[in-house]
Amino acid sequence: MPHFDMSQLRPAGRRLDWPDLLFGVFLIALSAGAFAATSRLSGGSAADMGPGYMPRAIALILLGFGLFFAGRSLARGHAGIERVQARPMLGIAVAVGAFALLIEDAGLVAASFSAVLLAAAASRQSRLFEVILFGLCVTAGAVLLFVKALALPVPIWPWSI
Amino acid sequence: MELFDNLLLGLSTALQFNNLLYCLIGVVIGTAIGVLPGIGPIPTVALLLPFTFGLPPESALIMLAGIFYGAQYGGSTTAILVNVPGETSSVVTCLDGHAMARQGRAGPALAIAAVSSFFAGTVATIVIALLSLPLAALALKFTAVEYFSLLVLGLLAAVILAHGSVSKSLAMVFLGLLLGTIGIDVNSGAARMTFGIPALSDGLDFVPVAMGMFGLAEIIANLERNEVRQVVSQKLRDLVPTRADLKAAFPAMLRGTAIGSALGVLPGGGAALPPFTAYALEKKIARDPQRFGKGAIEGVAGPEAANNAGAQTSFIPLLTLGIPANALMALMIGALMMQGIQPGPQVMTEQPALVWGVIASMWTGNLMLLIINLPLVGLWVSMLKIPYRLLFPAIVLFCCIGTYGISNSVFNVWLMLGCAVVGYFFIKVGVEPAPLLLGLVLGPQLEENFRRAMQLSDGDPSVFLTRPISAVLLAVVAVLLLAMLSPAVLRKRTEALAE
Repeated sequence: MPHFDMSQLRPAGRRLDWPDLLFGVFLIALSAGAFAATSRLSGGSAADMGPGYMPRAIALILLGFGLFFAGRSLARGHAGIERVQARPMLGIAVAVGAFALLIEDAGLVAASFSAVLLAAAASRQSRLFEVILFGLCVTAGAVLLFVKALALPVPIWPWSI
Repeated sequence: MELFDNLLLGLSTALQFNNLLYCLIGVVIGTAIGVLPGIGPIPTVALLLPFTFGLPPESALIMLAGIFYGAQYGGSTTAILVNVPGETSSVVTCLDGHAMARQGRAGPALAIAAVSSFFAGTVATIVIALLSLPLAALALKFTAVEYFSLLVLGLLAAVILAHGSVSKSLAMVFLGLLLGTIGIDVNSGAARMTFGIPALSDGLDFVPVAMGMFGLAEIIANLERNEVRQVVSQKLRDLVPTRADLKAAFPAMLRGTAIGSALGVLPGGGAALPPFTAYALEKKIARDPQRFGKGAIEGVAGPEAANNAGAQTSFIPLLTLGIPANALMALMIGALMMQGIQPGPQVMTEQPALVWGVIASMWTGNLMLLIINLPLVGLWVSMLKIPYRLLFPAIVLFCCIGTYGISNSVFNVWLMLGCAVVGYFFIKVGVEPAPLLLGLVLGPQLEENFRRAMQLSDGDPSVFLTRPISAVLLAVVAVLLLAMLSPAVLRKRTEALAE
């Protein structure tokens, strides 16, 4: 559940409804992307639709929604956005990215251990020694569970590739 | 009696040793995850989907269903003891349940919650069994036209009952539908929006989408909040409610069960609406409404019963029509599809052992929950004490391995990462991701049926209005849309869904 704590809202310079505006712009950009990506597909007719018919029809509706939200954000009163913190976002993103890069080239152990370590960096409350110990345990658990018990075909060590 | 034959068939499936075992594993994992605040049932089910691939379809669905209602159960434990709802549906349990706990009556609160849930679960199982046959018979008359209208109704109802702004939820449904068109077009074989990525030719896998948007995005948002939790530590030996407690709780339990069973069937229902409605009703008819929020036992019994009954009857549209009532049921559909079963009205007639096995397992599962929960409440309390700083890195890792494991695809891990970023954006701008997931799962079916219907009618859209069943379904859509635009209903809805 998104919880919006009104007391945490950042006072922004202009009188805009920021959540509406950003969501509207997001939808407009997305529908533009969909139009571009399906531009070479045939549309066909309603009785015999081509592959491009539905995507473009939906993108058109999304464009309408995007314009609506963007327009409304200018008309409505100010609403801010809860402050964005870089650390949790970056920590989780880097952890998942590291896992994706390592899993097939360095094996499950390296990928798991680094994912846990990097993810822990997302929280200020993590303690280094504790995380290393815990990471080793979780990694061992993951290997036992996924490779030994569930027979996931993934290399364990870099040299077992 | 066809009903008894079916229930017997279901019981014979559900009582097989393997299925009992998977049911037990499901409810235990579900409860364990439900107890942990910080990860809801949707990412949990998404996370555990890959584990069920090797199982036969019955066992897979029984286990997933067990996880689902186990999580509902676990959520109330957290709500009562920590005042943090494990998920939306236990938000109201916090109000009086935690108040009771602070008065040193956590034991009776937990016991009443468990008994109410079990009672509601038992009744809901019977309701499902009774409603399934006529609905499935009706559904067999459906052609592409009726099916399209039904899908529209399902998607729209999900929007109405979702939290937050209606217009934003509608936009999210269309966003999901757009994402659902990604992949090879079945009719023409043309690649649509795949950007040359082979992994996208089968369409966007919804498991990484669900895990990213519901799991990782929520973890990121949780980390920003830095909540301090305090577990009410107390003796749980006195679990037995007093006679006065029972007398007050029993009628509330009955009312809650009725509300939950009715509202759970509605598309989009199941999670938030039944407990909120039950709570509002209890407060309204109470002789002394002042007691509510200060430890009134009816405020625990009613919503808990409604919660569990709704959770279970929300399986009805899925099992009989092949339409998910909420995002969680969308994951169940995904599980079916991964087992090679095309969801739809025909599942009931073609896979009776599967459908009735799952229905019967709900009762065995609820019985297990009652037995394992009360004596093991100490264990769940100790799980509550695992600090979040250790919990979340482990969850992140399991999400990674889980998505990767579905098809050994690194692309899915990147996709999950992208969805986490987008999901975090959604949280920041205040939109709910659940309608998107429904759109994504129902999109391909919606398009296929729409195209087929239009082909049959030679491009004449009036076919949706001239066929009676379809016309009725669309009329309901129109009424809902009109109601949504009425300010009075909007205000009521805000009140009902207000946290």
